[in-house]
This record gives sequence, structure tokens and C-alpha cells, in this order.
Amino acid sequence: MRNFHFLFAAWMAVWAVFFLYQLSVAGRISRLREEVERLKQQMGEG
Amino acid sequence: MTTARAAALVLAKELRLEFRTRELLNATIVFALVVVVLFSFSFDPTSAESRRLGPGLLWIAFLFSGSLMLHPSFGREQVNQTLDALRMAPISSFAVLLGKMLANFLFLSAAELVLVPVFAVLYNVSLEAVVGRLALVIALGTVGLSVTGTVFSAIAAHARMRELLLPLLLLPILTPLLIAAVEATASLLALPPTLDRAWLAFLLGFDIVFLTASWLLSDFLLEE
Amino acid sequence: MPKTRVLVQILALALVFFAGYAALFIAPDERTMHEIQRIFYFHLGCWTAMFAALTLAFAANIGWLLQRKPHWDWLGVSSIEVGVVCCTAGLLTGILWGKPAWGIWWTWDARLTTCFVLWLLYVSYLILRGLIEEPGRRATLSAVFGIFAFLDAPLVYASNRLWRTQHPAPVLFGGPNSGLDPIMVRVLMISMLAMVIVMGMMLIERYRLERLRSELDELRVAYQTRSVRESSARSPAPRS
Repeated sequence: MRNFHFLFAAWMAVWAVFFLYQLSVAGRISRLREEVERLKQQMGEG
Repeated sequence: MTTARAAALVLAKELRLEFRTRELLNATIVFALVVVVLFSFSFDPTSAESRRLGPGLLWIAFLFSGSLMLHPSFGREQVNQTLDALRMAPISSFAVLLGKMLANFLFLSAAELVLVPVFAVLYNVSLEAVVGRLALVIALGTVGLSVTGTVFSAIAAHARMRELLLPLLLLPILTPLLIAAVEATASLLALPPTLDRAWLAFLLGFDIVFLTASWLLSDFLLEE
Repeated sequence: MPKTRVLVQILALALVFFAGYAALFIAPDERTMHEIQRIFYFHLGCWTAMFAALTLAFAANIGWLLQRKPHWDWLGVSSIEVGVVCCTAGLLTGILWGKPAWGIWWTWDARLTTCFVLWLLYVSYLILRGLIEEPGRRATLSAVFGIFAFLDAPLVYASNRLWRTQHPAPVLFGGPNSGLDPIMVRVLMISMLAMVIVMGMMLIERYRLERLRSELDELRVAYQTRSVRESSARSPAPRS
């Protein structure tokens, strides 16, 4: 298999890009959810 | 009031404002000259090299100095919130936009009128044979630059970091214009000089597309 | 409905795995480039997904300007962000294909240059959004910019194409498309579909993020108005 490492690198690059992006979106979502919960609690108390 | 008349009034206001101080025009011309001189350090400006690289350099100088010069078009209106006054006036938003586009076209043309002869002198390129056709190519390119630049000035005026944002938004959009203008200019500076019809048509097409888009979207650009 | 959602995700994942398997093992070997040519299936998949995302964004931009419903704005920014991600993947696979196949990392041919310019354009869109605070204005102005960007895209391609025919560069991707083996065509279709579905899944997540952000903003405003009201009730205006 000639140039297999380039093929493998391309395959990994694509999924790495998608995976890292998904991770970043998921991270942002969970942080925002925490913020929403915190605000809802504060409003409940006040 | 018709759009044409309203645009003419806005144009008159912009001209009056600029000619009071002329600072924008002066700064633009000097900046473009700086770019031209800087470029001379990156290649040996013999006549043959100049014919090859000159058109690109000329248009890059226009685009950079132009995109800096276009910022105050709407940036100025933010200071004393004069944009609200324009909004409330009984004229269409496209009239406001058109007036500013025409003003920017005139300012840019004035700068180019100084730059092109200077470029010809500094880079030993003779332009007598092609003056008329060169003027046409430069005019069409400047129309594209003023139309898109005015629209993006309106957009950037509401954002932070607007001085950096305007070139950032403008330059990628203008790549087709740059390619067409450079190629058309290059064909005029070549020996023998020819006017490439395809690129000329492309420039015209670019101008028409973006002028139409600006007309359709003008209300959204000026809204509250 | 979480059950259908999980089922759809599993099906999508299965398709993606099958597409990958097909690209690596089912598709026949290419004559000149052999294995490295298989990148082509992922590469074109990325472009297809990007094109789908950006077209969706164009529709969303128009939708916002005409209807002013928030879901258009959420859809717009989500599809553009996802489109930029696909574009990045496309550019990376292009580079990783170019080096072993043609010996060069990059060439300024029409298609690659267009994709690079599009990447810059749409990244500028994302930067613009970050710099406008007021949500309504941000949505409107970025929608206008998005429309201009989409109108510019064919012009970028046409100008580069015309330019490249005058100054020929190595023709990078003309090769594989001319006279494709029918099995290759089928594998290509599956790969493109799989990529578009992956794009769609990322889009849905990103859309949820945007909706959540909007909800948070509304909550913040409600909280602030309430605290202002409460503090003015507690300390009445001083008498003169």
C-alpha cells in the first residue's frame, strides 16, 4: 500500500476536525445549560 | 423626492464635508503612494518586470487604500448619530446609499488620478496609447470597489473594531474584481496593448450584481 | 423523541462506517495514484457537505430578512459555522492528497483557490457576528453579509477559472472525474451522502446551542429587569 500514511492522515484529519468541532459545541452547550440553571435558581430565590 | 435627486443631495453633502478639510483624500493618496514605494523594494522595477507585476501592484494599492478610505463613509455618521437624521429623512435608503457610493467613487477616482501617472513614472511604463481604455477599466473597477465598500462600511459601522473589520470583510469579496481588473490592466500594458473583452464584461457583471444586491438590501442596511 | 433520535444517529453512524469501508476496500484501485486516490471520496464529500450547508445558510439569511423569526438566524449561523468546518476538512484533505499525488502541497488552481476564498469569506462572517452585540442588528447585518458572500461565490469561481485558463496550473482534479468507473461513482455517491448527513448532525447540535444561547439572553434580560424593579421598590425616590 503506497502512500498509506497520507491516506490514513487524511482520514484522521477529517474525523479529527469533525470530532473536535462536535466536542467544542457540546462543551459550549453544557456550559450554557449550567448558566441557565444558575439563573433560573437565582430568579426562583429572588 | 425621486431617488436620483435625493442621492444627488446626499452626494453634495458628502462632497461638501470632505472638501472642508480634504484630510481623507490626502491621507488616501499618500497611503497609496506608500504602498507603491514599498512594492518597489520587493522587485527590481525594470520595464519588463513592471509590465508583468505592475498591474497587480497598482490594484492592490487601490484596494488597500480604498478599503481604508471607505470606512468613514458610515463611520463618520456614528459620532453624532447623524445616521438617525438620514434615516428619518423622507428619502429611500437606497438614495442615501447611492449618494455615498457616488461620493466614494469620486474620492477614489481622484486618488487614482494622482496614482496612475505616478505609477507610470516610477515604473517606467508608457500609458499614452491606452489612456482611454485604461480609464474605462479603472472606472469599472472603482465602481465595484465603491459599491461593495459603501455597503460594508454600513455593516461595519455597527460593529466593534470597525477599522480592521472593513478590510477583512471587503477584500475577500473583491477577489473576482481584483483578478478581472488586474488581467484587464495587464492586457492593456502588454505589447501590443489589447483590451480583453472577457474581463471587461466580467467587471461590468460584477458591478451590476452587487449594485442590484445593494438596491434590494438597502433598507436592511440602514435600519434601526 | 429520544428513541427515534438515537435510532437515526445509529443509522447515520452505520452509513458513515459503510461509506468509509466502501471508500477504502470496495472501490477499485485507481490506475496512476493507487491508494492515495481514495482520499478523493472524503475530499469530495467535504465539498458537497460544505455546499449544502452554505446553500442552507443563504436560504436562512433570506428567511431572516423577510420574516424576522429567530429560528432563521439560528439556522444561518449554525449552517455557516458547520460549513466552515467542512471547508476546513476539505482543504486539509486536498493538501494531504496533493503532496503524495502531485508532489506539491498547494496550487492556485480554480477550485482550491475558490474554496480558500470561501473559507476566508465565511470566517469573516463569523468574526462579524462576534463583533456586533445587539442581537437583532447582528442577525440583520450578518444576513446581508451572508447574502453578499453567497452571491460572490460563483464570481470567485468564474474569475479563477477564466484566469487559470490564461495561466495554466497543474490540473489537480480534472483527472478522476473523467471516465469514472461505475463502482467508483456509487462509492462517491455514498460518501457524499454520508458527509452531508454528518454535516446535518453537527448542524442540529449547533442549532441547539444557538437556541440555548437565545434562551439564556432572554433569561438574563428578565433577571435584570426584575432586579431593577426590586431595587427601585426597596429604595423609593428621595423627596425634595
